[in-house]
Amino acid sequence: MADDNDVLAAFLTLSATLTGYSQFRLLGTGQAEPYLATTRGAVGDDVLDQLLTTSAAVHDKAADNEEALDRGLRAGILSDDKLGPVARNVIKMWFVGTWYQLPQEWRDAHATREPDVTHVVSPASYTEGLLWPTIGANPPGAKGQGYGTWASPPLIDVP
Amino acid sequence: MPAQIDHAEAASIVYDALVVGSGVSGAIVARSLAERGLRVLVVEAGPGEELSVADYETYLTRFYGAAAKDNNAAYEVNPNAPMPRSPDVRRLQPGHPDSTGYLIQNGPYEMDSTYTRVLGGTTMHWEGKALRMLPEDFQMRSRFGQGRDWPIGYDDLEPYYRKAEFELGVSADVADQTFYGITFPPDYEFPMHGLPKSYLDQLVARDLDGTEIRLEDTTCTLSVRPTAQARNGVPNPAYDGGKGYVPVGAVSTHQVDEGGRCQGNINCVPLCPVQAKYNARKTLAASLQTGRVDILTQTIASRVHVGEDGQISHIDYQAYGSTTSPEHVTGSLRARMYVLAANPVENARLMLASGLPGSNGLVGRNLMDHAYLLTWALMPEIAGTMRGSQCTSGIEDLRAGEFRRRHAAMRVSIHNDGWAWPTGSPYTDLIALVDDANAYGAAVRRGLVDRISRQLMLSFMVELMPEPSNRITVDGRYIDALGNLRPVLSYSLPEYTMDGVAAARRVSRRIFQRLGAEDRTSYDPLDTGYVGHQGEGYIIRGGNHWAGTHIMGESSHDSVVDVHQRSWDHPNLYLVGPGSMPSIGTSNTTLTLAAMSFMTAEHIATELTTRPTVTIGG
Ligand SMILES: Cc1cc2nc3c(=O)[nH]c(=O)nc-3n(C[C@H](O)[C@H](O)[C@H](O)COP(=O)(O)OP(=O)(O)OC[C@H]3O[C@@H](n4cnc5c(N)ncnc54)[C@H](O)[C@@H]3O)c2cc1C
Ligand code: SF4
Repeated sequence: MADDNDVLAAFLTLSATLTGYSQFRLLGTGQAEPYLATTRGAVGDDVLDQLLTTSAAVHDKAADNEEALDRGLRAGILSDDKLGPVARNVIKMWFVGTWYQLPQEWRDAHATREPDVTHVVSPASYTEGLLWPTIGANPPGAKGQGYGTWASPPLIDVP
Repeated sequence: MPAQIDHAEAASIVYDALVVGSGVSGAIVARSLAERGLRVLVVEAGPGEELSVADYETYLTRFYGAAAKDNNAAYEVNPNAPMPRSPDVRRLQPGHPDSTGYLIQNGPYEMDSTYTRVLGGTTMHWEGKALRMLPEDFQMRSRFGQGRDWPIGYDDLEPYYRKAEFELGVSADVADQTFYGITFPPDYEFPMHGLPKSYLDQLVARDLDGTEIRLEDTTCTLSVRPTAQARNGVPNPAYDGGKGYVPVGAVSTHQVDEGGRCQGNINCVPLCPVQAKYNARKTLAASLQTGRVDILTQTIASRVHVGEDGQISHIDYQAYGSTTSPEHVTGSLRARMYVLAANPVENARLMLASGLPGSNGLVGRNLMDHAYLLTWALMPEIAGTMRGSQCTSGIEDLRAGEFRRRHAAMRVSIHNDGWAWPTGSPYTDLIALVDDANAYGAAVRRGLVDRISRQLMLSFMVELMPEPSNRITVDGRYIDALGNLRPVLSYSLPEYTMDGVAAARRVSRRIFQRLGAEDRTSYDPLDTGYVGHQGEGYIIRGGNHWAGTHIMGESSHDSVVDVHQRSWDHPNLYLVGPGSMPSIGTSNTTLTLAAMSFMTAEHIATELTTRPTVTIGG
């Protein structure tokens, strides 16, 4: 990838597809850069580059055809030995702010890097997890919705 | 600020009372004595430099950043004053004690209950249910032929329950809390109105209210009732004959405006971020206002010394400067009265480590805790799970009745936090969706709602009778970083309790059937806490309601303390807290121990103000 902005843009494109949330919404969490950095730290530049290049190719090829995008993503990334586990980690990171250590199989085959340990990326990444708004709740211990709100049905916006 | 006094100065003063432990028991005794003009020193083993919001923010950030969010995740590991942590619990092999965690587990049942050793004690991370015991709970032997009777009854404790409800700031409505013999004086109001039932509670109530369940020969009619809670709600203007109630917010040496009403952060355990929930620092802060209380943190009471007259002569302490180094200084502290309020495990540990098992050998015995059975299901519709405080309602109708002759009673909580406790949801649901169900994009979002927002978890809190063989001991092989003996736990679940557990599982099936909820309960035999009983297996979780170990009674032959929580053996020594309870019924223990602390403080104050000063030898 050419420069940092391109890398971030590619990461956001992939993240939006993987999470079902718009790039705009993802940027709003302030976590795009830390998550990109965490992924890079855990898997290295080469794997990251390969993931984003493959993603760009899949997105380009599918154009606006959702079915084609789905098939391309499953064939090119999600079922790929090397890229699949990383993509799944990116999804989980967006939803709960935690980087989960990659499967041992992956580590044996590709790389065992020191930052690849299960950890919460930062206290802010925990509170910005997408899981909570997805289910109409707040992250436990933060962003309380206010006294008595729990008595009403949840506000859930399912796509 | 706790550190107004240094150890040398404290050691030079003979206080009216020395209180060991700054949890809710010790804090209430300290505050009550100081308000009656007495001079009190509190020693606290754990850290907590200031009663400050800054301290609190550190705990919160540590919690946000912790990958494993267990119930002590907010508190740093401190080898100098260690505490049990549930992830340390291992499946036990018969005959092999496990010393992985601070608590040595002798078995046969491995117990995952915890407590917290920091300024303010375990209420820093308690959940805040504030329940009175039922009148019949005080008479288990005479009414049901089980366990023990208390030397006092509900009516004796009732006025002190009201004081405790004030101190802890309980939100509840009298009409909701009047059941199975619980009475209030006419015109009584709780300090704050009850917290509203969650949407989930309302869905459960819609179908469940009025359902009849039989336990032995007792017919129980179920209804979903709001739970009394020590967290700030809407103040009741009718409180105290119309005087109203001002909620206590965040405590700090510099007052700031936090600690408002509960916002539904669903994080009462391990830490309420806005201090809407009561914690003992609120009482400690008030006690400091009297100017007659000194607090020494990072100060461990290490040995209790008895003089020739049988009175306590002094208590040795160890004070450490940093939680990362075992370096410490030692000395002795003196007072006219000594109050051990370090919690049931630590009170027993300290006595036994001081060579004081009691003249009848009962110190450390009759340890109790509630046995928790968790059952879980998926509701047929979206129920908005994961909102509100951990529990807003429960079922009280299985707590009382003649069936208690045959098996244990139980209380049910409806959990707003879903399956978090039994399965690790929502994290485990996310992982399963992404790694196993191969969902991504919109499918993850839909899947999360489908799997989490319909979760219903019922916890059954099953009572346990005092058994002398359930106990805390010490053993010279096991010591902590400062050389103090660690507590060794021997614990098994009696038949009476397990029969109650089996009944609880049957009741949960009935409830799920009534609600049309998909029962997803399963117990893995390889998991910690797995217990077989009459051909069925269950996972029993610890209730975190440590009690017993210095049980209260009418005679020095079969108990450790009298009705005032005063040691039968040492007249100037009081062992206070849940350790004194002869039975725990189906109430979380704290409101009762708070009431007992008020009662005891009144007694100690009378002793100190009407009797001549005790002359202390040595
Ligand atoms: C996860 C959890 C949830 C709970 N939820 C509820 C609930 O909803 N409702 C309820 O009623 N109860 C609940 N409880 C139980 C409740 O927290 C306890 O009953 C209560 O806090 C006990 O108060 P205490 O003052 O006796 O002991 P603690 O609060 O444990 O305080 C003892 C203090 O003594 C200090 N100490 C120990 N040893 C020494 C020593 N040698 N020298 C000096 N200091 C020492 C400790 O550091 C500690 O600060 C819960 C407990 C847990 C763990
Ligand atoms: S639900 Fe949240 S705001 Fe309310 S008491 Fe619990 S932690 Fe505090």
